[in-house]
Amino acid sequence: MNKILLVTRPKYDDTTYYLFHWTKKVIKLADKKGIQILDLKEKRANRKEFESIMLKKQPLLIFLNGHGNVDRVTGQNGEILIKTNDNEVLLKSKIVYALSCKSGKELGHKSIEKGAVAYIGYDDDFIFYFEDNKVSKPLDDKTAKLFIEPSNYVIESLLKGHSVGVSCQRSRQLYKKNIQKLLSIDSSSELIPFLIWDMKHQVCLGDKEGALSKNK
Amino acid sequence: MKDKKEKIKEEIKKLVIARLKVMSSNRKISIGSSGEFSKEELIQHVEREDEVGRKITEVQMEFLKSLKEGIFYEQDTFGYETKI
Repeated sequence: MNKILLVTRPKYDDTTYYLFHWTKKVIKLADKKGIQILDLKEKRANRKEFESIMLKKQPLLIFLNGHGNVDRVTGQNGEILIKTNDNEVLLKSKIVYALSCKSGKELGHKSIEKGAVAYIGYDDDFIFYFEDNKVSKPLDDKTAKLFIEPSNYVIESLLKGHSVGVSCQRSRQLYKKNIQKLLSIDSSSELIPFLIWDMKHQVCLGDKEGALSKNK
Repeated sequence: MKDKKEKIKEEIKKLVIARLKVMSSNRKISIGSSGEFSKEELIQHVEREDEVGRKITEVQMEFLKSLKEGIFYEQDTFGYETKI
């Protein structure tokens, strides 16, 4: 298995627009670490390219951004990239992080059954707040940052060579830090219930010891 | 019994709407593939009790349950849990 990071990042609505831009930080880190990056962005986040590059390049780390459901994660314009009882075998021997709704509920488990090393995702909706006047500059949105930064920390930690288990744990610690920060400012903050929701619905399936550094 | 259940449901709805009313008007919320919503839209969804409204209610109820469980005070509640 190759030390390669495959990223899918569609961009066609406010949600995917935010995830698209926030993924840049992850790509920058991977580049800094000397890890090869396969960036399936916008139109390239389609099933044909995804399947082809997965088979040809055999990346170890997969970072899926986009809308999803219990049995799927999608790409540009909602095109299915990976689906239960269809092509989840592509995730065999891979470490997957899906920043997508609900796929941790079924697709994650099926992927592990089919040989994925680990699948980190959400077993319900991933919800985040954003500032209406920051849509054109999502990376300046401090409200969205409270949600997306702890979430993306899973993949950042994996890129730093930490194990799956440690990466999930650190992501949850960042959620907790943000919750505590908000509590200290305004305990009635409307954001807190949703941060707790995302933190509680993050699931970490498969081999917790799996890591990028274990593979040569 | 049915009346009591309905009454509780109405109370919950009122509570959720009251919490949404304090939401900043400059903010929107992204709920996966359901879309992005403003404060006013969220309140309408909760009033209609549709899928989005039920999701918001679920988040708020889970939060209140967390408060009851002492999520802010007990280290273990924030502790690392994995689901296999």
